Amino acid sequence: MPAKPFTIGVHRFAKKGDAAAFLQAILHRYDVGDRVSAADEEVLRAALALHPEADEKIGCGVTHFSVRTADFGTKCFWINRPDGTTEKFSYIACIRG
Amino acid sequence: MTLSELQSWLIDEGLREEIDTLTRNTVRAEVDNLSPEPNGENDGMAPDWPRLLFAGSILARSDQRVHQEAALRIATAALTLPTSSTIRDAAAVLLGKLSNFRAIALATDRELLTGDLEGRLGMTLRIEAQRRQMDQSVLVESSGRWLPVNDFQQRFWDRAGDHSWLSASAPTASGKTFLVLQWLLDQMRSTDARVAVYLAPTRALVSEIEANLQSLLGKGSSVEVSSLPLRDKYDAAHGGGAKLILVFTQERLHLLANVLGDAVAIDLLIVDEAHKIGDNQRGVILQDAIERASRANPDLKLVFISPATQNPEELLADAPFGVEAAAIESDAPTVLQNLIVAEQVPRKPKRWSLSVRRLNGALPIGVLELASSPAGLRKRLAFIAAAAGERGGTLVYANGAAESEEVADLISQLQPSLAEPDAELAELADLARKGVHPQFRLAPLVERGVAFHYGNMPSLIRLEVERLFRAGKIRFLVCTSTLVEGVNLSCRTIVVRGPRKGIGHPMEAHDFWNLAGRAGRWGDEFQGNIICIDPEDPAAWPGGVPDRARYPIKRESDAVIELGGELSNYLDRRADTDLAGIEDAERFEQVGAYLFATYLRIGSIAEANFAKRHDPAIVARLEESLATIAKGLDIGPDIAARHPGVSALGLQHLLDAFRDYPGDIENLLPAAVDSQDSYDRFVTIMRRINQHLFPAFLPDGLIPLHALIVVQWLKGYSLATMIRRNIDYHRTRGRSFNLPVLIRNTMELVEQIARFRAPKYFSAYMDVLHTHLRAIGRADLIDDELDIGTQLEFGVSSRTLLSLMELGLSRMSAVALYERIARDDLDQEACIAWVAERSAQFEGMGIPAIIVREIRAKLLPASDQTPAPAP
Repeated sequence: MPAKPFTIGVHRFAKKGDAAAFLQAILHRYDVGDRVSAADEEVLRAALALHPEADEKIGCGVTHFSVRTADFGTKCFWINRPDGTTEKFSYIACIRG
Repeated sequence: MTLSELQSWLIDEGLREEIDTLTRNTVRAEVDNLSPEPNGENDGMAPDWPRLLFAGSILARSDQRVHQEAALRIATAALTLPTSSTIRDAAAVLLGKLSNFRAIALATDRELLTGDLEGRLGMTLRIEAQRRQMDQSVLVESSGRWLPVNDFQQRFWDRAGDHSWLSASAPTASGKTFLVLQWLLDQMRSTDARVAVYLAPTRALVSEIEANLQSLLGKGSSVEVSSLPLRDKYDAAHGGGAKLILVFTQERLHLLANVLGDAVAIDLLIVDEAHKIGDNQRGVILQDAIERASRANPDLKLVFISPATQNPEELLADAPFGVEAAAIESDAPTVLQNLIVAEQVPRKPKRWSLSVRRLNGALPIGVLELASSPAGLRKRLAFIAAAAGERGGTLVYANGAAESEEVADLISQLQPSLAEPDAELAELADLARKGVHPQFRLAPLVERGVAFHYGNMPSLIRLEVERLFRAGKIRFLVCTSTLVEGVNLSCRTIVVRGPRKGIGHPMEAHDFWNLAGRAGRWGDEFQGNIICIDPEDPAAWPGGVPDRARYPIKRESDAVIELGGELSNYLDRRADTDLAGIEDAERFEQVGAYLFATYLRIGSIAEANFAKRHDPAIVARLEESLATIAKGLDIGPDIAARHPGVSALGLQHLLDAFRDYPGDIENLLPAAVDSQDSYDRFVTIMRRINQHLFPAFLPDGLIPLHALIVVQWLKGYSLATMIRRNIDYHRTRGRSFNLPVLIRNTMELVEQIARFRAPKYFSAYMDVLHTHLRAIGRADLIDDELDIGTQLEFGVSSRTLLSLMELGLSRMSAVALYERIARDDLDQEACIAWVAERSAQFEGMGIPAIIVREIRAKLLPASDQTPAPAP
């Protein structure tokens, strides 16, 4: 079966694996504690919209994204909401749908 | 026969047997649980007291320690062994000749002497005694009072009057600290001095000196005392307000100088435990602090105090040209110190034969009977201490915190359980349970009058342990090398086996004697005892029980510079090698940093004071390395001077990393501790510091834990909360843990990471970052809040918590109170008002009594508080 193309916002990928690698590269550009830049934020907003629990994750809104510690010494993207709460999300889940 | 020949003959031949008998009898009276002597206690021979006392008065005129000791032995024996009141009067006269007025006062207190001694002396002796008392006292100018002193104290007082730099060295129990504090207060009250700094090498000693000064001054004094490196009180003192004595570690003096922008005007600087200038890592920071103060005020009056040292004059080598400098030393005994060795009687593990070490070999004094068979080395130490020092005042030296807890536990099991535990001991136990953990081992031990003591314990608990040990309520105290590092605590008996300093290094002779010198509380006891177990066991004592020795003072910087080529090679490699690949970094980095700072400040180390002490070839070689590296530095002398021990080269590498940083510059800043991403930012900052500045947070795998501790500490969590969270962390992850170890580890992380490494390197990180932000026009990102180094030193990030500590509360008390205060922005006055309103309710709030006491003493008006009597 040929790989299906995949789209995150304006970015088109030949297959899901490429999209995952693209998001992973963004993640790895940051140290834990960093705020995600405006350019990368656009990508993440689009990716987050594809998350199966997007509504719950977004909650009352997203002010900005961060990269912070996840379990087992890894790092992941975090959502920062206007009410000061935060929530992590997996970019893999955004792609799996 | 000259006088000195006569004195030597008396010791070597004339009195030899009689002094042995006196020694044996006086020492037997000191040690508990000795087997009875077959012929009764008095050895059959009645001493010829008139002859002995006459000989004693001849020996008292000698300046040799051995002779003075013999005279003191005779006087002590005549006072404490069964004699007549006439003999005891004569003994008091002999003590007078030794200028040992405290021992006379003690004998009077114990009713060994009846009052009006002078009235009983003949005319000649009376005149002589009165003259001696006048000679041996100094005038306290501020009060017009005469203070009785011994010979050493008198020389100190006289020299301090007309010399600007002074270095005083004397053994532990010679009344140095007491006298220096008196002198300091007199200077503050009677001269123009506005600000004095008392430097002590550890936070433990800082709290102790601060408390001592406060109790000497009493409430409402015109002189303020503080240990916080903040500018308010300093500015007030210089602006005509209350004069100020700051009690600091060397790091805190740098923090204050940084806040003041180097214009730190100190009139008077006292450096206690000044031999610590030779310490690895912190010695050079101390040296730098002293030099910084001296540069800022060339008229600085500077006093160094050290325990028995070989060369106190070494500390005066860098006195500015034209400054009058003097060294004063004393080796005179103030209290008898019996060095006793304990060896097991063959085939009898519960019987230990004791002998006193003296010049010409060992003198057997009897056999100690143990209650239980001591299987294992810890039991041996514990059981011998419990038996020999049963009457209390007994200090036991353990190698490390873990061992101190074990040994204290063993000793406590041999103590009777008190039906009604003492109220103060119960309060301390309560504080240990609430302030650390309900299962903290200290709590049940203190209820039985036993405690342990190590450096990473919270200071409020440690100070209370020390206080109750001095008061005699804690009868056994098991301590670690923290005591040698600078805590003024003396004891009646000290028990030790194979002492180590740090991890595994056998203690050197001068450290051993600094420890052993604590046996004998001058003015509280006539004798002190040092019991060394298994003296012939090379595993315990690789070089045998050390002979009395004095510290050689050697600056850390001098010792490292003398290595010559090795240091230059390190500097060369440091410039172009990845930090992780450099060996010996811990050994060379601090001194390397000092050299860089000096070079950047004056443009050449050949011009620096220290250069004259070293081989010109070594200095030239170092100069060459520094000059080459300095060409590539944008880091200026100011920023290098602000971070002693942090290399300018490291600062430069960090600056380069900031310049090359590709991301959003705001990501380089730490986040406020209450912010969600604060922890992660600290993780990344620690990694950045390791990579570019210095590998300070190792191993890398522990960075998350270190960052977590830093965040909790800054958030103002109590130690108890941090321990509880650490336990939860282990439980939720299914990790096993040993509770005593976890408690100790948490305390160690707080002290070593949050309060030592993090402030040192985070301060430097922030300074370099601010430099960079200003350079790129982003000064808007700099906020002028409290410096991160100061926040970490005290573990505070809220205004209220800082105000409480500014008022003099320990962090433990401040945090306990802050847990009940809603607002985070209270200033000092508002904190006082908050406390005053609720003063009556504290008992019902579940706050430990010792904390309530501290809060009342520091925050409430002096209704019924009077200054404590001088020690």
